[in-house]
Amino acid sequence: MSKIIGIDLGTTNSCVAVMEAGKSKVIPSAEGKNTIPSAVEPVKNLVGEVAKRQMVLNPENTVYSAKRLMGRRFSDKEVKKTQKMVAYKIKEGKEGMAVIEVGGKDYTPQEISAKILAKCKTDAEAFLGERVESAVITVPAYFDDAQRQATKQAGEIAGLKVERIINEPTAAALAYGLEKKSGETIAVYDLGGGTFDISILTIGDRVFEVEATNGDTHLGGDDFDEKIVDWIAEEFKKENGVDLREDKQALQRIRDAAEKAKIELSSTQETDINQPYITQGRGGQPLHLSLKLSRAKLEQLVSDLVESTLKPVELCLKDAKIKASDVDEIILVGGMTRMPKVNKVVKDFFGKAPNRSVNPDEVVAIGAAIQGGVLGGEVKDVLLLDVTPLTLGIETLGSVRTPLIERNTTVPASKSQIFSTAADNQTQVEINVLQGERPMAADNKSLGRFILDGVPPAPRGVPQIEVAFDIDANGILTVKAQDKATNKEQKITIKGAVGLSDEEVKTAQQEAEKHAEEDKKKKEAVEARNQADNLVFTAEKTLKDAGDKVKKEDKEKVEKEIKKLKEILAKEDSSKEELEKASKELSDNLQKIGEAMYQQQQAPNKEEQPKKGSSKKKEEKDDKGKGKEKAEEGEVVE
Amino acid sequence: MGKKRLKKPVLEEKIIDLENKWKRALADYANLEKRIVKEKEDFVNFSKSCLVVKMLGVLDDLERCQKHLKDEGLNLTINRLKEVLKSEEVEEIEVLGKNFDPKLMEAVEVVKGEKNKILEVALKGYLLNKKVIRPTKVKVGKGK
Repeated sequence: MSKIIGIDLGTTNSCVAVMEAGKSKVIPSAEGKNTIPSAVEPVKNLVGEVAKRQMVLNPENTVYSAKRLMGRRFSDKEVKKTQKMVAYKIKEGKEGMAVIEVGGKDYTPQEISAKILAKCKTDAEAFLGERVESAVITVPAYFDDAQRQATKQAGEIAGLKVERIINEPTAAALAYGLEKKSGETIAVYDLGGGTFDISILTIGDRVFEVEATNGDTHLGGDDFDEKIVDWIAEEFKKENGVDLREDKQALQRIRDAAEKAKIELSSTQETDINQPYITQGRGGQPLHLSLKLSRAKLEQLVSDLVESTLKPVELCLKDAKIKASDVDEIILVGGMTRMPKVNKVVKDFFGKAPNRSVNPDEVVAIGAAIQGGVLGGEVKDVLLLDVTPLTLGIETLGSVRTPLIERNTTVPASKSQIFSTAADNQTQVEINVLQGERPMAADNKSLGRFILDGVPPAPRGVPQIEVAFDIDANGILTVKAQDKATNKEQKITIKGAVGLSDEEVKTAQQEAEKHAEEDKKKKEAVEARNQADNLVFTAEKTLKDAGDKVKKEDKEKVEKEIKKLKEILAKEDSSKEELEKASKELSDNLQKIGEAMYQQQQAPNKEEQPKKGSSKKKEEKDDKGKGKEKAEEGEVVE
Repeated sequence: MGKKRLKKPVLEEKIIDLENKWKRALADYANLEKRIVKEKEDFVNFSKSCLVVKMLGVLDDLERCQKHLKDEGLNLTINRLKEVLKSEEVEEIEVLGKNFDPKLMEAVEVVKGEKNKILEVALKGYLLNKKVIRPTKVKVGKGK
């Protein structure tokens, strides 16, 4: 069965979403945006962004706000109002319904909306890579039967089987997963590009009931932009005596700048509006627009607009016969609700903070997609896979925890890593299997331990021990350690590595967070110690390898520094800084020795290079098991 | 064990079913991998376009400035910025003298002149990797 998409068919913008593997996803349009402007040029069949771009050129052929006409009679008050604000022709069609005349042909509002829905369908098919045949479409809660019927027809004209028409506020509530909160009352505050809607819902047994709706069909983001444009133009006029609104090109630029400023002020306190060479003065000199707009000033400019939304809210509460304090949850929908001022006004009115975690432009489409997912049985189809609740790893040198399988990995999963020995001639390694989020081994839970012995004696770092973690679909963890030289292996099987109670997981994570800082320090100290230890080893080996090729005084200097670092290492409580300082001194001097040796070597090496390459390879093979020491000695001699 | 023993056809059916599900899971995974590769590419382009669009605003201002100042040094600077954009696959949309095309352009005004022809550019438009990141804002002839 093909997927059921969710479509928010809006007055100014539309949005499409779909459920995938139990998660909702907004489908980007072919133009790469998450919403599609609800504009259509029916003659050339241009839809969305493209139709909007040619609107100035072709105003009487470009239809927008068609939703305002859906299922309405020509005599309807709302139709008359719309007629005044649009450039295209609206007239009376069959049975007194409102129709749109473009290029001598009549189009019903559902035919226009069908073109938007068809684009939604095409974009969704391109994104999903499969055919889309059915959809859930949202409508305002106040839509009557005729309007819902018209919306359904629009879907059918677009070639979509309309599985269900749902209310926009209901979709928003679904997107927040509120259907589980039986008995609660929800207010949905929707301030979009061109309309404002408020709805009061109650939740019955997983069913939403719309108690009352209200709103203002001609209030939205565009009015806010207009206020800012006017302010910019007035400020500029005061300073330069030129009205930017009379210069079409300048007006276009300040419109863009106003919208940008409005968006920026949702996250910052102040923004710069800079438009150099915006126009020319009377003497032909260039004039620049340079203004600062603060959030406080913006809020002052639009405060009457924001306040005007409260009247419908009060009426709506009255119709629903409840008080503001009776509302349990408030949901914000529409791009304008991103404005902190809107958020604050709503919060003050209801006396509690509104829900705003879901993107307000997409929340309705997401809710529709969830409804589609439920109808299509999407949720049932998903095979639920477990995840590892905590990180699994082993203890390594200096009691550090080295993670192998990170938390939240979907099982079944396996991972392996090569480790080595910490001391010369070490013949056994202990594997301590750890579970938890803390960087030091001792702070994590040990799930079990085992010993792999019989490792052939070799210098530290030479043996290769592969440690493999494998968790099967039932959450059973098998940890295996294998010596790559002898193929000797040892393993342990641990049950219940996945099945932890939520409580246990939470505690472990909280512990890790609480100790994050001190743990980091501890781990860094151990790392500094491990590095210093390694350096001592390398230095001693280098001196031994170099033999009498190093000047006596250089050698003595390095030996002195090795001794110093060893002393620091011997003390339990030496600090990270002490270790790092001594390590640096030693490594600097060691480099000098390296340089000297390299210079001595260079001359003879040049001639014998090809031969050296092949013989070195052979030697390494011969020396397997005996360590690298001899191979490197040979290299110097050659 | 003997009690629970299933008949051969039942087992065979089960094997077919499991094999089917297993192949499906593998296919799902393979498809996901392919989509991730594509999404990564898209993401790189998307984040690039966010930056480029912001830079285009600065280029517009520099060009407006140059129109007025006609300074050689500024000219070189503008050319360098254009070179940088070009090396990132950003190219200007050529529109002058062409017919209006809403896929590439946005009409901001209609002026006297040949119908549907682009007579003036109000704001240059650009492509990134052959995709429109900003349509050219144009003035179009209205004809008689």
